[in-house]
Amino acid sequence: MRPTNGRRRAPIMAHLRRCLLAPPCGVGGLRRRRRSSAPRIWTILGALSRSWVVRLVICAWVAASLSLAADASDVFAQGDANAGKAIYARKCAGCHGEKGDGKGAAAELLVPKPRDFTKGLYKIRTTANKVPMDQDLFKIITDGMPGTSMPPWAVLPDKDRWNLVAYIKTFAPDAFKEAPKKLDLPKDVSSSETSLKRGKEMFEAIECHKCHGTEGRADGPSRPELKDEWGFPVAPANLTKRWTFRGGASRTDIATRLANGVLGTPMPAFLDSVEKPEDIWHLTNYIVSLGPERPRYATLITVSATKDALPDDPNAEFWKKATASAIPLMGQVIVDPRNFNPVIDLVTIRAAYNDTEVAFHLTWDDPSETKGDGKQTFPDAISLQFPPQITASTERPYFLMGDASEAVYLLRWQQGKGVGEASANGPAKIAPLQGGEVSGKVAYTNGQYRLVMKRPRIAKGEGRPTFQPAVFTPVAIQAWDGGAGESGTRMSLTSWYYLRLEEPQSNRRFVIPPVVAILTLAAMFLVVRAANRAR
Amino acid sequence: MRKGLTIGTAVALVTGAAMWFATTVGAQGGGTVEVEVKYNGAPQVEKLKVNKDTEKCGTETTIEKVVVGGNKGLANAVASAPGAKGASKAKAVIDQHGCKFVPHVVVMQPGEIEIKNSDDILHNIHTYSTANPSINKAQPKFKKVMTEKLEKPEFVKVTCDVHSWMLGWVAVVPGVAAATDTNGVAKLENVPAGKQKIEVWHETLGKQEKEVDVKAGSVTKVSFEMKGK
Repeated sequence: MRPTNGRRRAPIMAHLRRCLLAPPCGVGGLRRRRRSSAPRIWTILGALSRSWVVRLVICAWVAASLSLAADASDVFAQGDANAGKAIYARKCAGCHGEKGDGKGAAAELLVPKPRDFTKGLYKIRTTANKVPMDQDLFKIITDGMPGTSMPPWAVLPDKDRWNLVAYIKTFAPDAFKEAPKKLDLPKDVSSSETSLKRGKEMFEAIECHKCHGTEGRADGPSRPELKDEWGFPVAPANLTKRWTFRGGASRTDIATRLANGVLGTPMPAFLDSVEKPEDIWHLTNYIVSLGPERPRYATLITVSATKDALPDDPNAEFWKKATASAIPLMGQVIVDPRNFNPVIDLVTIRAAYNDTEVAFHLTWDDPSETKGDGKQTFPDAISLQFPPQITASTERPYFLMGDASEAVYLLRWQQGKGVGEASANGPAKIAPLQGGEVSGKVAYTNGQYRLVMKRPRIAKGEGRPTFQPAVFTPVAIQAWDGGAGESGTRMSLTSWYYLRLEEPQSNRRFVIPPVVAILTLAAMFLVVRAANRAR
Repeated sequence: MRKGLTIGTAVALVTGAAMWFATTVGAQGGGTVEVEVKYNGAPQVEKLKVNKDTEKCGTETTIEKVVVGGNKGLANAVASAPGAKGASKAKAVIDQHGCKFVPHVVVMQPGEIEIKNSDDILHNIHTYSTANPSINKAQPKFKKVMTEKLEKPEFVKVTCDVHSWMLGWVAVVPGVAAATDTNGVAKLENVPAGKQKIEVWHETLGKQEKEVDVKAGSVTKVSFEMKGK
């Protein structure tokens, strides 16, 4: 992986070759000494040095110590800070600032804030002390930091990235005086039922829930107060969304974060603070069990057909069995005020219909259930957006809540107000629709909303679509975390997706195949009988 | 019998000699400096509602930025005589008790500190240091005591991220040092006679220093007045 391997290996190979081919050093001198009645020890050493085995051992030893020395000097040898400076100015300074103090032009819009390199404090490191390995810095530049504004820079050649590593270290020369000390993780324990049980026990004993929440959704009681060492608010990781882990989602990544903490943030080191060292792995296994490695985003939302009643209760068994479609949301950055750092990044939709009704079941994470004070916080809310008429045309209203010429229909819910309908001609022109017979129910537990919104399948009144089976129906989502100050255009949203009401399955599928089977059997029987008769 | 007697005599002699030696050194080399720290401004103590772990932390807590006691004495200041060596090497202890750091300011010689958790809930020891390696270690309920090293002189801020109001200080001070009591008085014992620099530090009011003439075997008083920033 490391680009310098080739370069470093070359001198070692040359040295080995020299070692093996050259005559053993000092042999001549020793011979002379023996003649002049030198101590016996020299004789033995001299004899030994002629043995190829000993020569090989010595050469191997020299080579090993050379390679160790090379490892230690990686810090200085790998990149060229001067070359890195030019790349930094082009690619990094916009956020991290020319002086490396994290105060680039874009910094004020970003959460979390860009790293201030002048402190030499790095969140993600595989070391037991404060100093990160060069490889740690290289990995972050290469892979980026999921869940933040730091993109992966794998597009840059390896050499450029190593040069950047060398350059960003120059912002905090004192911090890098100390040599990085590799962290030794306890022996890996693979996941099993017992390990998960122990992990959960430890999760509770060391009170991870204080920040990360009982079910890991970043909704712990200490969450609102958390600040990093620069005084900026910092959010705990949502443990059910491993793909947003800043330092990677692998088991080793997670165990390392647990063991040595996330420097500069409230996340402390737990290596010395678990009952037994291997608990680090039990905890890791448990955290891994809390959510998928990555979400499987849906492209089409299927609304399943049923003859049963559609339950209002979001925790009903019916909804647990329904097909779930995960839809990613983005911040609204088209009209002012914009939302550069949206909280809600994923909504999971389940949907079903019967002859008379259609129901949508939405699940999303929100660290706090908020009604809002109207000043800094606002009511949590979500809406599903449809065109007011579903036509065969591919033309759809403007996805951002329609515009002056074309309205959209919103089926929406707001904390404190419940489910309602509205017609919108843009985010600033929303008019509630009355008398539409909508209903629904919401449940909030451990950092997660579950909501059912129901309405008649056939539109009752103007400005509302009718949901027909087997028709591709445009749909979009908007969501607001009022607790984080989101309201109005400060929202998370999607562009148009499609949903499709699955065609009701008729009973013919239970009749036709057996009939065909019987007819075939009869035909075969006839053929066989005819053949027998002919003989 | 005779052997026992001999040993007894030897022990008595040695003890006597040691005591004599100790008293002479004390009398010849050191005096006591009584440092009085005053603050003319208003105390700064914020009250705060607690919304978690209330069974351990109570429902209300205080953030003590400037504590002024009787006679305008400033508590929680650290007085030190950096020139006086041979201060007590007793291990410093800071306790997390009732979701507070007790004491608010710990004075210690460069070396080890014992960090206790008497609360039976999770705390994390998070130090903001520059000279010493900064620490951010979890201290779950079952981890009653941790030992950490603070080997360089520094005033180290200590917080707990789980309970954001928790704030304490560890004063790593070489030489004789002590924190002022609620009346703003700190006694520095065994300060060598002669001209000595006395320093006073407070977490929000900063540093001051004065020179005093310490007389062996007697108490020298020195007074500081800290100014608000």
